[in-house]
Amino acid sequence: MYKLVLCWRYLRTRWLALICIISVMLGVATLIVVNSVMSGFSNKLKERLHGLLSDVVIESPSYGGFPMLPDEMMSRIRSSPVGEHVEAMTPTIEIFAMMQFRVGWQNDVVTKTVRLLGIDPKGRSAIGGFSEFLLDPARQKDPSFDLTQQMLHRVEYLRRLNAMKQPVELLDPNEPPSPDAPPSSPPKDYGIIVGYAIASFRAQTNDPNTPTKDVMLLHPGDSVLVTTVGAAEMKPVFSNFVVCDYFKSEMSEYDSNFVFVPLDYLQQLRGMEGRVNCLQIKLKPDVNLFETTAQLRKLFGDGQHYVVQNWMEKQGPLLSAIDVERGILNLLLCMIVCVAGFSILAIFTMIVAEKTRDIGILKSLGASSRGVMSIFIGYGLLLGTVGALLGTLAGLAITRNINEIEKHLTKLTGQEIFPRDVYYFDQIPTHTDPMNVAIIVMGAIGVAVVFSILPAMRAAMLHPVQALRYE
Amino acid sequence: MLTAQNLHKTYKRGHHPVPVLNGLNLTIETGEFLSVVGASGSGKSTMMHLLGTLDVPDQGTVLLDGKRIDNLPPREREKLRNQTFGFIFQFYHLLPELSTLENVTMPIMVGKSMFGWMRERREWRKRATEMLERVGLGHRLKHKPRELSGGEMQRAAVARALIGRPRVLFADEPTGNLDAEAGMRVVELLRDLNRTEGVTIIMVTHNLDIVGVTDRVVRMTAGRIEPGELNAPPLRAYFPVPAVG
Repeated sequence: MYKLVLCWRYLRTRWLALICIISVMLGVATLIVVNSVMSGFSNKLKERLHGLLSDVVIESPSYGGFPMLPDEMMSRIRSSPVGEHVEAMTPTIEIFAMMQFRVGWQNDVVTKTVRLLGIDPKGRSAIGGFSEFLLDPARQKDPSFDLTQQMLHRVEYLRRLNAMKQPVELLDPNEPPSPDAPPSSPPKDYGIIVGYAIASFRAQTNDPNTPTKDVMLLHPGDSVLVTTVGAAEMKPVFSNFVVCDYFKSEMSEYDSNFVFVPLDYLQQLRGMEGRVNCLQIKLKPDVNLFETTAQLRKLFGDGQHYVVQNWMEKQGPLLSAIDVERGILNLLLCMIVCVAGFSILAIFTMIVAEKTRDIGILKSLGASSRGVMSIFIGYGLLLGTVGALLGTLAGLAITRNINEIEKHLTKLTGQEIFPRDVYYFDQIPTHTDPMNVAIIVMGAIGVAVVFSILPAMRAAMLHPVQALRYE
Repeated sequence: MLTAQNLHKTYKRGHHPVPVLNGLNLTIETGEFLSVVGASGSGKSTMMHLLGTLDVPDQGTVLLDGKRIDNLPPREREKLRNQTFGFIFQFYHLLPELSTLENVTMPIMVGKSMFGWMRERREWRKRATEMLERVGLGHRLKHKPRELSGGEMQRAAVARALIGRPRVLFADEPTGNLDAEAGMRVVELLRDLNRTEGVTIIMVTHNLDIVGVTDRVVRMTAGRIEPGELNAPPLRAYFPVPAVG
């Protein structure tokens, strides 16, 4: 009982204890905030990546597409043991392309390299990671490439406007068009969904409340020219499309590269005869991803014409990088807690020296060496516990209000702490895992106890007579 | 009751051994109030530390009721110090973070388990309060040591030493840090406790003015007890000392 009484009194009366508590508190709070933010980033990124990528993707290394037609492939999958794990499938074409369009009143030509995806919008939505990222609310509910009347009017208007001006060919007029290429203006206007970052750019403003704003380069109804390579022969094929919507996933890699066009038209444009070069598969919940991927690999055999990967394998390097960064950051931050531990060691050594006579008194009253040792270990435990609990409260409070704190810091320093145009998200994502918090707290307490052992042993080994005579 | 036989003790100061006790022999009877006087460095405190099992002799034995106690395992010696012996030091040695009442109950807290203390704390606090009232500190229960005078601190130390009703009380220069009046109060208190409680007291001092209250006075020289007893000078009270209790 005397140990508890003395531990408690030392905690309340020694101002040096406050330093130990503060250092543990800072270490724990920092670890919780950093882990929560990194975890939030990692989870959000995984969510986004998984949302944008289907669970499993079968791709063809050839631009010409799979040897098998997509319906045959899907039929084979459904009739195999894997079929019962599959929730949805959709065939797509993924190919590199170039996109050109005019901007500004001077009709400057902008050329961008893009990733051209031919999709069935409803099938793609069933897989997930498509319709929810469209900006038109109507298309979010019912995804399509249909052009509205407004868009068609704009198309017509722009055509008439261009016809009035000196026609400026987007391509070199001296270069004869390929005899096999389809007409540059198709008989029907096909819609194209453009990645948001392709269709806009972020400009700085003078308004401190909205430091940036998005300036649109492309509007619904604008015409773009997409050029890609044919399937049968390595020849360019091109077509005009009309912008019908934007795709905004807040993932820069996708928003600044992806453009979506109707699958059937792209097949026709490229001369693919109904084939595709990609099959996206969504699995049912709680299905083992890696096992199912392995089964699909067995089903499509060779690996030469069919490359089967799941979303984690496709994004493996990125996900690993995040995990490695997180691991290194945790290691470095643990050193902060160890620094707190060393401060406990130093302060306890001072306290033991200061308390030498008191230790002699306790021993003269019959306290054992073990009892004296447990006073100081108990003191370390108490300091660690108080510091860890305060650090947990501080860490959770900061994590909860991190976006407000970031805004205030940005205002105070004039520097954007979390540049939205660099990161994938509008708000700093956080995710606090209770198990993680528990591990941090236990770790901090453990460090406090470990670093109090040496001074405690020193106190225990003091000879009562020498301790009583200490000045 | 408590016997020291041929005690030797040497301390090392760097490479130089310093012999302090050189074959000390002493017997203290039950209920005796013994003074041990001697010049500074004669080994008085060392002798007391060995008798009270705070240290172990290099040679010789210490017997309590005929049983050897100098070679007991540490746990047994701790138990002796907690239950059988009491200590009073020159510099009071009260724990500064605790109140007077808590300091007095500390030996009980040390000796009992947590549950034992929780069960009996009311009774022990009552006994401690009575003890403090007896030594004239009934109005200082919640004060911290820094709020007490030297004499009050020493009286609190006396109460602490006696709370567990020890059989033997070791007083090492109990008046060494006190003025004459305060010192006399403390010695009078010890005398009173010796008479009423029958506590065996061994008081080490270099102050011959206070040894008159004791039953026997022996002198230490060069690490040994000189044969024969001293004729203690009559007790001289410089100031009128009110009765204690």
